[in-house]
Amino acid sequence: MKIHTLLFVVCLLASVFQVQAANPQSAPPPPPSSLYTSNPGAELWREVRQRDGEVLRGTTQMTSTDAGVLINVSGQLWREYRMQKLIPIAGVAILVVLAAILVFRVVRGKIPIPGGRSGVKILRFTTNQRYAHWSTAILFVILGLTGLIMLLGRTVLLPVLGPDAFSAIAAGGKFLHDYLGPLFALSLTWLFVLFVHGNMPKPGIDLKWLASGGGMFGKHAHAECYNAGEKGWFWLATIGGLAVVVSGLVLDFPIFGQTRATMEFYHIVHSIAAVILIVVSFGHIYMGTAAIEGTFEIMQTGYCDANWAKDHHDLWYEKVKDSAGAEPRQAEVQPGMAQRESTNST
Amino acid sequence: MNKLTKTSRTVAAPVATQACRSVPDAISRRTFLRNSSLMAGGAALASVVSPTMMKKADAAMSEGGGKITQVKTICTHCAVGCGVIAEVQNGVWTGQEPAFDHPINKGAHCAKGASIREHGHGERRLKYPTKLVDGKWKKISWDEAINEIGDKLLEIRQKSGPDSVFWLGSAKHSNEQAYLFRKFAAMWGTNNVDHQARICHSTTVAGVANTWGYGAMTNSMNDIHQSRSMLLIGSNPAEAHPIALQHIFKAKEENNAPLIVIDPRYTRTAAHADHYLKIRPGTDVPIIWGMMWHIFENGWEDKLFIRQRVYGMDDVMKEVKKWNPAEVERVTGVPEDQVYAATKAMADNRPGTFVWCMGGTQHTIGNNNTRAYCAFQLALGNMGVSGGGANIFRGHDNVQGATDLGVLSNTLPGYYGLSAGSWKHWSRVWDLDYEWVKGQFDSGSYEQSKGKDVHVMNTKGIPVSRWVDGVLEDPANIAQKDNFKAVLFWGHAPNSQTRGVEQKKALEELEMVVVIDPYPTVTSVMSDRKNGTYLLPAATQMETYGSVTASNRSFQWRSKVIEPLFESLPDHTIMYKLAKKLGVADQMFKNIQVNGEEPLVEDVLREINRGMWTIGYTGQSPERLKKHQENWGTFNYDTLLAEGGPADGDYYGLPWPSWGTPEMNHPGTPVLYDTSKSVAEGGLTFRARFGVEHDGTNLLAEGSFGRGSEIKDGYPEFSADVLKKLGWWDDLTDDEKKAADGKNWKTDLSGGIQRVAIKHGCSPFGNAKARVNVWTFPDPVPIHREPLYTSRRDLVEKYPTYDDRKSFWRLPTRYKSIQEVDHSKDFPIIMTSGRLVEYEGGGDETRSNAWLAELQQEMFIEIHPRDANNAGIKDGEDVWVESPENAKIKVKAMVTRRVGAGVAFMPFHFGGHFQGQDLRSKYPEGADPYILGEAANTAFTYGYDSVTQMQESKCSLCRITKA
Amino acid sequence: MARMKFYCDADRCIECNACVTACKNENEVPWGVNRRRVVTINDGEQGERSLSVACMHCSDAPCATVCPVDCFYTTGDGIVLHDKDICIGCGYCFYACPFGAPQFPAEAAFSSRGKMDKCTFCAGGPEDDHSPAEYSKYGSNRIADGKLPLCAEMCSTKALLAGDADVLSDIYRKRVINRGASAFDWGVNFNKQKLDLQG
Repeated sequence: MKIHTLLFVVCLLASVFQVQAANPQSAPPPPPSSLYTSNPGAELWREVRQRDGEVLRGTTQMTSTDAGVLINVSGQLWREYRMQKLIPIAGVAILVVLAAILVFRVVRGKIPIPGGRSGVKILRFTTNQRYAHWSTAILFVILGLTGLIMLLGRTVLLPVLGPDAFSAIAAGGKFLHDYLGPLFALSLTWLFVLFVHGNMPKPGIDLKWLASGGGMFGKHAHAECYNAGEKGWFWLATIGGLAVVVSGLVLDFPIFGQTRATMEFYHIVHSIAAVILIVVSFGHIYMGTAAIEGTFEIMQTGYCDANWAKDHHDLWYEKVKDSAGAEPRQAEVQPGMAQRESTNST
Repeated sequence: MNKLTKTSRTVAAPVATQACRSVPDAISRRTFLRNSSLMAGGAALASVVSPTMMKKADAAMSEGGGKITQVKTICTHCAVGCGVIAEVQNGVWTGQEPAFDHPINKGAHCAKGASIREHGHGERRLKYPTKLVDGKWKKISWDEAINEIGDKLLEIRQKSGPDSVFWLGSAKHSNEQAYLFRKFAAMWGTNNVDHQARICHSTTVAGVANTWGYGAMTNSMNDIHQSRSMLLIGSNPAEAHPIALQHIFKAKEENNAPLIVIDPRYTRTAAHADHYLKIRPGTDVPIIWGMMWHIFENGWEDKLFIRQRVYGMDDVMKEVKKWNPAEVERVTGVPEDQVYAATKAMADNRPGTFVWCMGGTQHTIGNNNTRAYCAFQLALGNMGVSGGGANIFRGHDNVQGATDLGVLSNTLPGYYGLSAGSWKHWSRVWDLDYEWVKGQFDSGSYEQSKGKDVHVMNTKGIPVSRWVDGVLEDPANIAQKDNFKAVLFWGHAPNSQTRGVEQKKALEELEMVVVIDPYPTVTSVMSDRKNGTYLLPAATQMETYGSVTASNRSFQWRSKVIEPLFESLPDHTIMYKLAKKLGVADQMFKNIQVNGEEPLVEDVLREINRGMWTIGYTGQSPERLKKHQENWGTFNYDTLLAEGGPADGDYYGLPWPSWGTPEMNHPGTPVLYDTSKSVAEGGLTFRARFGVEHDGTNLLAEGSFGRGSEIKDGYPEFSADVLKKLGWWDDLTDDEKKAADGKNWKTDLSGGIQRVAIKHGCSPFGNAKARVNVWTFPDPVPIHREPLYTSRRDLVEKYPTYDDRKSFWRLPTRYKSIQEVDHSKDFPIIMTSGRLVEYEGGGDETRSNAWLAELQQEMFIEIHPRDANNAGIKDGEDVWVESPENAKIKVKAMVTRRVGAGVAFMPFHFGGHFQGQDLRSKYPEGADPYILGEAANTAFTYGYDSVTQMQESKCSLCRITKA
Repeated sequence: MARMKFYCDADRCIECNACVTACKNENEVPWGVNRRRVVTINDGEQGERSLSVACMHCSDAPCATVCPVDCFYTTGDGIVLHDKDICIGCGYCFYACPFGAPQFPAEAAFSSRGKMDKCTFCAGGPEDDHSPAEYSKYGSNRIADGKLPLCAEMCSTKALLAGDADVLSDIYRKRVINRGASAFDWGVNFNKQKLDLQG
């Protein structure tokens, strides 16, 4: 089985480079010879552009934003950014990261809980935290997917689905993206508030944890409630999320007279932040679901296994293990308190 | 990557204009995705278009299309007279095509002409007769309306006399409607009838006609192709006559003709000029005399031309001598080198053409300005020659026609004047008893001339510029029986006249106000009247047919594009209905067939042809005009001459004078006063209008005569006696002799005198010199006088205005008593007004056109950065503009260098706001224009020309403060 | 094959806005959507010049390149058109276009713009020629009748030209020769006389 997966990985990597090379956006195709006619318009507009460096602005009787702008030079720069940098790089980055995760899986396999499950449950996430996480996560996935459709759909989906079906999907995707975006803003804020306390950096512990490779290639270093990896994701999600939210709101509400240059700038911010978040989220999702035994159930139920805790978050375990086994009073269940996994209900 | 490509199409020859917009049988490939509400592209497009209209068009198209008919008409906006091709399907106006073979515009339009289809499309119209009842608009029927209005008019006539009704006609009437309107006023028995020409080119008509005989544009816009230089003063064709620039650019580019623009503003026209002279508003005479100073100083005048064809140039030279460069600069602000350069450009490059518009005419000395312009062209010998001329661009589409047809309080159709002889002439044409006509008038006399009482019938009426005073002035001071009690605003908006605050008061004083117009106009909202106001929906010119006279005197035939919309009726039908109610229909339409209630337009034109001998409105029969309409493409673009084709030998539109009867087939006169052609070919001499000699000097032409003229010198106007003296009497037929005996070329209804004169190569109206000294005018030689409201108090002593006049056009008229008050400290900015290309006139019509209204959404005042900074005003802020006559308007400030420091400019087309108040709710439901704004003329002030009572709306004073 | 282009002669344009209203007229373009506009630089000052701007039907159209749903296409005549049924109203074409040609009927919250609308060179759209669907979505199709865009046909001074690029070049070249000035001496009037605008 391992060889098959290895072969698969190799093929995948190969196809990445194939896509890169075949990406039509990387170099404009040579125009057919019938286009080489003299066009007085071209010369006039070249003259216009040279007259005033940036954007030549005049007056006009039209009242829409930017109507008085004669020529929008930043549009070309933005086009080049999006078509020649953003799309190819995003595509490649996604494939590379997915491939890396695959390789890691193949090589490292599923990481078990050392010593197996103890059967003792400790509360790790409150209900509030779980809801915040999942709403943010689900919104993020939808937003990410719909965003990727807008970014890469033309390259990847259009040839497969055909223009009409793809347009319907893209339109639906844009609709979801635009309406769920502000919701994501709220959800992310909620998430931030609930998780920030535990994610404050502690250089002494976090740096040592990072130096040890985070347990990926050997034994775990010490970690508190959240390890440096989780903290890194938390802060990346916060900062990146803030960037994506602020820029997204500007883009989502073009009703304040934003100029094209403004929209282009915020689009660049939005797209870079989003692609980074998406790509790193692959890692987070893998880590939170299939990577390690006993992890996924924690965000589903709120409780983790004591041995799991001892392995991954030993310092936190020490703090909360004392309450392990004690019967929780219904109204006072705190994170970190252990709960015996009982088969008999009271 | 899928790229949808259309099957390649070669650019084929235009397929039918009859191409059927039919629904294809093929089913679209995307039916399963269409019309989900988020994606339907069509939904957005229907937002502004009225649902009913859009439905109609769609219905027409989806019913297997309808045949597309092309209808030729003429744009109803300005006097350039652009050809319009309307495409009509099932009675719905669905498209416009460029009229590529129309000789004047070659398919081109300005924003207004390109959007004229909106006339058949728009919803913001007066839809049915409406009456104001206790402040609310109520729909009534046509019969109710005519009955009530008629009853009230008769009541007023009974109590106060016929002169108490003011008939305010329109420059947008067709020729036939304008003629009927003037006749209607005569049938009613008053000379209180007028129209927009009063406030537009009345000073031109008076000044120019008194210089060389006719007061109209002498050449044409097409003729400018032959110009070697062009001078525009107070004219901004980029906004007011865009198609004229098509012709001006041709001369500029192909003849290298320098373009000189004289204007207080650096207009869009000035931006294309080679010489730009920025004068202080109101200093036209100084600048022209300043240029003439260089002409005489350098001997550039055409001495032969002056000797042969001009009287009084010595008197002008004497006046011009005072205008040396230093004085010119002191008064106008233009330095010597600029004046010299511009003058040299005109002198070196002849023939040169001279254009002027409102910038020169709308002054208390308007008649001085226009005569100075004429003198300039006469001095350079630029008159009567192709490429030269006084190319006066008229305003509205038929102001030329309405002026010619006498919708004026001082004359009858054809500029016959109001003498007994003129009335007798027209009574004959109308086939009515002269005594009956006279009996319709107030039998009193309120004026004296040369010690004798003058009958009301022969006294000038009150002009539109003074209608307010006709209402508000103490009746003891008016030279008629009583004040105005009712005014009919028939195709005329009030916001193109000054003194808006007093207008409001006057409107409230009247017993009845009637508006007859396709649009409600500002009249319907600007006053606080609660009752006694009627709005009658007239059809636009697109909904009827008839002839119209363009600025270059060419007649053009309009065909009907669509049936009158909603309950509107053509103006001539409304006139018939009202005439019937007033009991004068039989007389008015004696020789005019009436079908149902619509007078036959062709019959009206034939009656015009029978009577308008003075200006040669006699050759343009309906048949000849229709022939021209059908053969636009056969007329030459440069000369307007048809070369071959059914109209071979004619000039396009038979520009008047087209002498004699239609049978005589005179081709029209494309260039007035051109002696290089025989009269039969369209040539002409200057008119002998002012006598044969004055102060011992011969007034007839000396040594100059038309080609082929048998009289090789000047000669007086032709009469039966003159023909007999010359021995040409027997050239008349017996019938002609019967009609012509004892008559002259103006009153001979057979046209024989004209025919014979022309047969012998002579102009029927004589061959005289033009006179630059009009001894009958207040200022025989034009001089400068400061405007009534002037900021140059230092010049008032040397250049004062006139003395106040006790009775002038029946009213006391003030001059000195206004100028002697110094307002310059409190109102330091010179205020001037003008046009925008998107709007026209009072503006309700064009501001109700969504395509135009979108382009000019706010009323504004142009103010120089210096003045803005001094007043703490920023671009785009609301400001109050206050006048010395206690009026104020609230508009947006546009800070620009287009105006000079100390000068501010406002467009006059807005209306619907009044002194800061929005009057939208006062409009009848659904008839309010999209865009409203303050009317500039609410703030413009008193001031009237010394000959014609033209309003002074080009130079007043104001104060601008932040709102 | 003809390559369709627009050219606006800045020495003749007087901002009469006929091109703007002709387009509105012919294509029933609603309030707020401006397929064509006239921009004036140096308004009110020496060197004032106006240009009529709409879609330039670029050979390498940025709008077509950036469209996420690839709704643009170029006809054999070089006219750049798009399919409103496919358009998702994202606005990218508007960002990329140097001339601001794409217009949207709405500018509302949640990035709701409606379908992009722009100058079609009076060549309609992907629907069948002269069908009601084509007219209601894209406006008139004059090209299919062998006519040219109405804006250029109705330009008051023949400043705006539309048609085959070679023909336009010829026309413009002739004008330049007549004017005796450099073709691209844009903003200076022919006789190079310095206009003194006082105060």
